[in-house]
Amino acid sequence: MMLLRVSQVLLGLSSLSSSALALWPQPRELSTGTTPLKLSNDFSVSTKGLPSTPNDLQDAIRRTQGFLRTDKLQALVPDRGASSKSAVGSARALRSLRLAYTGTARRLTSLSEEAIADVESRVEGYTLTVPADGGEAVLQANSTLGLFRGLTTFGQIWYELEGTAYTLVAPIQIKDEPLYKYRGFMLDTARNYFPVDDIKRTLDAMSWVKINTLHWHIVDSQSFPLVVPGFQTLSEKGAYNAKAVYTPQNVKEIIDYAAARGIDVIAEIDTPGHTSILAHSFPEHIACFEASPWTKYANEPPAGQLRLASPATVNFTSSLLTAAAKLFPSKFFSTGGDEINANCYNEDAETQKDLAGRTVDEALDGFTQAVHGALKGVGKTAVVWEEMLLDHKVKLANDTVVLVWISSANVQAVAQAGYRLVHASNDFFYLDCGAGAWVGNFPDGNSWCDPFKTWQKSYSFNPIANLTKEQEKFVLGGQHLLWTEQAGPTNLDEKIWPRAASGAELFWTGPGGDVRAALPRLHDLQYRFVKRGVKATPLQPEWCALRPGKCDLDA
Amino acid sequence: MKLLPLFISSLSVSLRSANALWPVPRNLEKGTSHLLLSPSFDIQVEGVAFSDVPGDLQGAIGRTKTRLWEDRLGRLVPGRGQSDLQASAAPGSLSLLTLSIKPPPGEGKGAKVPSITSEVLKDVSARDESYSLHVPADGAPARISANSSLGLLRGLGTFEQLWYWAEKGGEAGTGVVYMHEAPVVVKDDRPAYPYRGFMLDTARNFFPVPDIKRTLDAMSMVKMSQFHWHVVDSQSFPLEVPEFPELAQKGAYSEKEKYSTQDVQDIVKYAAERGIDVLMEIDIPGHTAILAESHPEHIACLHASPWSQYANEPPAGQLRLASAATADFTVALISAIASRLPGTLFSTGGDEINQNCYREDAQTQKDLKESGKTLEQALDGFTGRVHEAVRGRGKRVVVWEEMALEHQVGLANDTVVMVWISSKNAAKVAKKGFHVVHAPSDYFYLDCGAGEWIGNSAGTNSWCDPFKSWQKAYTFDPLASLTKDQASLVLGGQQLLWAEQSSPENLDSIVWPRAAVSAEIFWTGPRLPSGASRSVGEALPRLHDIRFRMVQRGVKAIALQPLWCALRPGQCDS
Repeated sequence: MMLLRVSQVLLGLSSLSSSALALWPQPRELSTGTTPLKLSNDFSVSTKGLPSTPNDLQDAIRRTQGFLRTDKLQALVPDRGASSKSAVGSARALRSLRLAYTGTARRLTSLSEEAIADVESRVEGYTLTVPADGGEAVLQANSTLGLFRGLTTFGQIWYELEGTAYTLVAPIQIKDEPLYKYRGFMLDTARNYFPVDDIKRTLDAMSWVKINTLHWHIVDSQSFPLVVPGFQTLSEKGAYNAKAVYTPQNVKEIIDYAAARGIDVIAEIDTPGHTSILAHSFPEHIACFEASPWTKYANEPPAGQLRLASPATVNFTSSLLTAAAKLFPSKFFSTGGDEINANCYNEDAETQKDLAGRTVDEALDGFTQAVHGALKGVGKTAVVWEEMLLDHKVKLANDTVVLVWISSANVQAVAQAGYRLVHASNDFFYLDCGAGAWVGNFPDGNSWCDPFKTWQKSYSFNPIANLTKEQEKFVLGGQHLLWTEQAGPTNLDEKIWPRAASGAELFWTGPGGDVRAALPRLHDLQYRFVKRGVKATPLQPEWCALRPGKCDLDA
Repeated sequence: MKLLPLFISSLSVSLRSANALWPVPRNLEKGTSHLLLSPSFDIQVEGVAFSDVPGDLQGAIGRTKTRLWEDRLGRLVPGRGQSDLQASAAPGSLSLLTLSIKPPPGEGKGAKVPSITSEVLKDVSARDESYSLHVPADGAPARISANSSLGLLRGLGTFEQLWYWAEKGGEAGTGVVYMHEAPVVVKDDRPAYPYRGFMLDTARNFFPVPDIKRTLDAMSMVKMSQFHWHVVDSQSFPLEVPEFPELAQKGAYSEKEKYSTQDVQDIVKYAAERGIDVLMEIDIPGHTAILAESHPEHIACLHASPWSQYANEPPAGQLRLASAATADFTVALISAIASRLPGTLFSTGGDEINQNCYREDAQTQKDLKESGKTLEQALDGFTGRVHEAVRGRGKRVVVWEEMALEHQVGLANDTVVMVWISSKNAAKVAKKGFHVVHAPSDYFYLDCGAGEWIGNSAGTNSWCDPFKSWQKAYTFDPLASLTKDQASLVLGGQQLLWAEQSSPENLDSIVWPRAAVSAEIFWTGPRLPSGASRSVGEALPRLHDIRFRMVQRGVKAIALQPLWCALRPGQCDS
């Protein structure tokens, strides 16, 4: 048996057959056989060889074993696997998966600790072998996080037929690790509110495709659902209602839930724009509050920005963000910085007075230095939207991470400036595009970032386009994003899934994947998500899902 | 207390605090008083013992009574109506709604009120859906009067939308149900068009019965009258037909993804009780590849490759329309299906017939040669036989526009033609004198804009891009380019969901609230009660309202805007 590089596997015919292995993201190195193998009724996961078993790893094992029983996903072939009945019936039975630690530590660190460690230090690789003869399967890694990623892969191997979990492609050998360290998803919980359970379900789904970062755009001009100790009045007056809040307890619950699934939570408090809602409790800090027409003062209603030239506002913002940052253990904290409206400040008498001869960009520099400095004081590295680097004359610490959203064409400029970057460009990764204009009274309006970004579109993204070899190292990874002007709990799942999985594979397995070969595996993932209670959108008629290639353009 | 006719109320009133009725009645007067719903509130039918009220009307009354208490919709204003509670010190309290049917059912034994169902099952143009509603401000009994139980149902639907819920301070879970614009008077509200529909494709992906029922409930909320059920297609045949059990056995996606005869009867009954007639479609002669799983002899160009030469989407396969045996089979199949359906409309489809499929099918060429017919002549003969069978079961035939515009096919005068390719084609259909149902892809297709679903086509958009926003759909004019005489041919219209990229997972979110748009276009007509033209600016707050009410009732309708905007009408306009 030979390990094939993934590019070769993707070209092989077997990857077009959905009865083959449908892993997502595709492991970097994978080989499969042609022998049927079933899970024994007494299948168990052994941790005896580990130096210790952290509780969150134990929980992850329990969840994996649960999925093996409850997924009940039938193979995506016309007869849903019925013709494999005798092969499955007479197959060898796998009784055990043994976890093995290949590192040197005398105790394993917890999955949760590793998940929130510095992004560049995380170790997520693993190897997995599943023999064809019923002999013990082995999952090896030199980190708890790696073991967790391997468990996730193991959980995707199996189909169900009449109560038996089976695969037709043993032996399986996998050697895997992500190409990029940052594989994220961004959720906006301010335009419309999402209860904690919806976020947890999203975290589960993210973990199934090995996404490791939730970028939580938690507040914005429309609402302030975050309860910040010392600043409770913000959520009291700024949340949509008393129930539409995230208390420190909720936040901890979400962070813990995420970390136990290998996910770091990066909070964003977007400043100085996108802050209109603060005026409900602190009107003195907000310029051009709900000014009309909003189109002159903001990119969307309602208008309102922090008075960045006011020393009192700078102090207030530093204290607020520091207090908020203390709720989140991640090394990163985002201060946003997108879409600052110059006109808002031009017409704000208070700001004009406070500028005292400075330009707005000079004041912004002072504001940013103060806020970032305060965050650094509590151990946080700043994350900003691209404008802070490319549009404003703001001095940023060298370790700042820049999110590129306006256009993928701007990536090069960020790398050239020597900053680490995360791909989040609207032209590939915005999940909200294409649903029509959401502003009222605009019958012929399409969304500003039309058209809809299909899974194929993001799948075709090249993370290192136009970058020199030297610049490539600045790419931390990338993410899909959901801005929620037209989303809420009623359509959260289908807006995100399975499209965001496309980014998950792009940044794990690497670019260059073929959409034709990927589609059957993505169908598989979508069907598995539905089995697990995530309302992922179907990509095609079921007829097509059961017949790989038959609904291709040239079929 | 004085009634404020809507037309003298200022723009700000109509935008900020309008009764959020959807579809808006054609006549509406309202006041400014608060009115509470009494805990002892009841609904009675005038002059009839409740036990003599038809079962479906009893059911509707029961649902209304439940919803008034269970909707728990907070008014869409900042504070969600908490200030309403303080605004009125001693509001009236409504304890009775009287339903009155004309003519009165008479006295004594044998007095009969016809059921909702019996009205729904009349010809689409013969149904009486009109009603009047009066809710006094002082707590005196409210009244809905109508000529039919169906009219009473429509009135109940309006009545339900008047009420909001406000939590009593500090007491979680307790609150009051109230309205804030009493009195309300609706005089002789009736639909501008009888056909107000929604089409669901259950063949590309399957939808279980509960999903269809939930959809029917949402349709009923906005007074829709027709469920167009595109039940089968080339990809799957989920419909069980007792005379042809092999079709679903071999054509359904799985044993569970089927509609049994009982399921169909259940859906038809459920729909009728909610004022909705079921129009089933068996699309022929195209869109039939799946029949070959059990009857390969009847299908030309089965799974021919490349599919793009033989069909508009995979898999290819069409009925051998020139074959006498195939015509016999088709007539028997359609007769078997139609004979179990009580409605008066039945669709034989007829869209997207691929010529090349027949040109390359040796059997069809042989059949044509033997009969000496052209393909169009064969299609005419085939269609004539099938339509005769449908008409023989008391039904009007419904077809897609190609049958009237592109083929030389004889169609009965009462045929209903669905215009889908372009809204521009409605005039051509009307010119031929056929009844029109508007179903244009450029306004009403709910599936557009989600990217091409065909595989290996990275970066291409859906064929009918862009996404049809509710605003776009709302600007549709049913009479555009029609003459005055032709206007009477328009039966109505519908939004449609083709399900290549849909399933139970995203059904609600792709349909609602967008599909409510055509419900209002075809109920309310071009003008608001004030006489002003309908506009997206006026409609948005009301559409928010019906959307939030749908969510309260378990329909996962999507947010149209940030909640901040939903609570502040006009503030997020362009």
